[in-house]
Amino acid sequence: AQICKCVICGDYGPRLHACLSCIYFGCYDKKHIHQHAEEKKHHLAIDVSYGTIYCFICKDYVYDTELEELARAQCHRASASLGLKQKFFPWEPSEEELILLRCNPKRRRVTEASHIGLRGLINLGNTCFMNCILQSLAHTPILRDYFMADQHVCQATDESQQCLVCEMARLYQEFYSGSRTPYIPYRLLHLVWTNARHLAGYEQQDAHEFLIAALDVLHRHCKEMNGISDSNPHHCNCIIDRIFTGGLQSDVTCKRCNNVSTTIDPIWDISLDLGPGSIHSSHLLASAAAQNAAATGNTGANNGSSSSSSSGNTASGPSSLPFGSVETTTHSPSTGFTNSPGNYEPTSLVECLKRFTKTEHLGNSAKIKCSKCHSYQESTKQLTMKKLPIVACFHLKRFEHSTGYHKKISTFVSFPEELDMTPFMSSARCSNGYNGQVMRSRTPTLTCDNKYSLFAVVNHFGTIESGHYTCYIRSLKEQWYRCEDHLIKKATAGEVLNSEGYLLFYHKQVLEYD
Amino acid sequence: MADLQERKLRDAQMRATINQKLVETGERERLKELLRARLIECGWRDELKAYCKEIVQQKGLEHITVDDLVSEMTPRGRSLVPDEVKKELLQRIRTFLAQQSNM
Repeated sequence: AQICKCVICGDYGPRLHACLSCIYFGCYDKKHIHQHAEEKKHHLAIDVSYGTIYCFICKDYVYDTELEELARAQCHRASASLGLKQKFFPWEPSEEELILLRCNPKRRRVTEASHIGLRGLINLGNTCFMNCILQSLAHTPILRDYFMADQHVCQATDESQQCLVCEMARLYQEFYSGSRTPYIPYRLLHLVWTNARHLAGYEQQDAHEFLIAALDVLHRHCKEMNGISDSNPHHCNCIIDRIFTGGLQSDVTCKRCNNVSTTIDPIWDISLDLGPGSIHSSHLLASAAAQNAAATGNTGANNGSSSSSSSGNTASGPSSLPFGSVETTTHSPSTGFTNSPGNYEPTSLVECLKRFTKTEHLGNSAKIKCSKCHSYQESTKQLTMKKLPIVACFHLKRFEHSTGYHKKISTFVSFPEELDMTPFMSSARCSNGYNGQVMRSRTPTLTCDNKYSLFAVVNHFGTIESGHYTCYIRSLKEQWYRCEDHLIKKATAGEVLNSEGYLLFYHKQVLEYD
Repeated sequence: MADLQERKLRDAQMRATINQKLVETGERERLKELLRARLIECGWRDELKAYCKEIVQQKGLEHITVDDLVSEMTPRGRSLVPDEVKKELLQRIRTFLAQQSNM
């Protein structure tokens, strides 16, 4: 800091240049570096902010690939040393891509009035649940970009008809082809049926189950086709995991010795209870006990499946395959205890999330063996988000199934267009286990990348026995559309926010590059 | 007359000290990052990028130099910065200086 300033006027910028032939710093705007170049005949200088090279003979900046790479590497080092996010370098086409661009000179311009990306889907017999999920996925910006950029390279070349990922790629091609006639996704349906047998058949299925099953098959096909070994299912690098996988942290605190046992489970969505507080009893005991067992040395891979089959606040993870209905009972008339203070019914997504991340007391009947003090103690459990996915899917548990009765909870739950997940993060957790309000003045974050934007809503109409799914999606030009099988209609944001809401899809506003 | 000179000199010295402190602590880079993020968020970068393309098209790709672009775009860019962004950064610098004088 003492050296890196203009030798003549002591200024730090904005366009400070360093001589490449000796140690000299000079401003560009005030021509101090020009003077030096003249006098010493040192004809090359580098801009210290951008790493670009200036030639005083050519009187312009000159570009060389090697030097640019060096500049980029140094920039990364600088950001890392300051603890800042990596600087964003815009996409530059590779050699192959340059050739492709030259051979295909036709360009499509997307105007305000364009309907590109919108296409109806024919209902193949109660397949509206699938159509809604396909519409939501087709309008997931980052997933769309992945497929439109031809990023999927299928390894199973002779069997590409069997690869669901390839079929998704074809779906995007159909959606963005500009064709206005509705598309018939019969092959995709067939592929999902053969890969997720529990969904086969023409009865109405649950859209949420279909989403999880579809993601699971896509994830499996990404891995199989790419031959990645299955050694660690939690560290998959496929596009599905990169986009949808978040980390749900579960902390169980022993009330006696305050030892906290933490596990982090991969999740693809967050299932939120509606209605008044749920009765946990044995299910919570099972999941907490499993967690403790995991903490003392077993692999945590089974945690996902044990907690998804329990009632209460759960999340579906990639390691668990949904069998039958995932929506299990939330009101079992056994001994237990209701959720702590005020059995209120949440009427907004934020309230649901607050309840989801609240510390719960596992009462007397649910004592866990603490791994530190080795005794059975009462404990508290808290769920928070350790890692946020790029696309967050919230599932409002509107369907209740228990022996003898099935019910749909149709309470209106409001949800915002923009959602900030900061208060629900593990980092917002205070040591006493209560989620404090994030104090803005304390550690001001440079940019908030816990902010999400709503881009798709799947709604269910009717009863649990006979119902119909429709969805709203936000298209390229920030315009909402209502999709009901083959019918696509313009909609307003107000309409969307007033709809009942069953599956809510949010997309991160700011993407970070590692 | 002399008073004004003195004041200018003091201002310059002050500016130099502040700058040095900012660079030493790395705060200057952090503020730059913050500014970059805010300007992208409010669409400033996109606006200016469009303007830049216009200039390049007018002058022709073969004859344009960085200096041309800088001289054309600087006044436009400066005027387009939203007031809130300016306020936020000023606030951050003030906070930073307050911290520095406490240490």
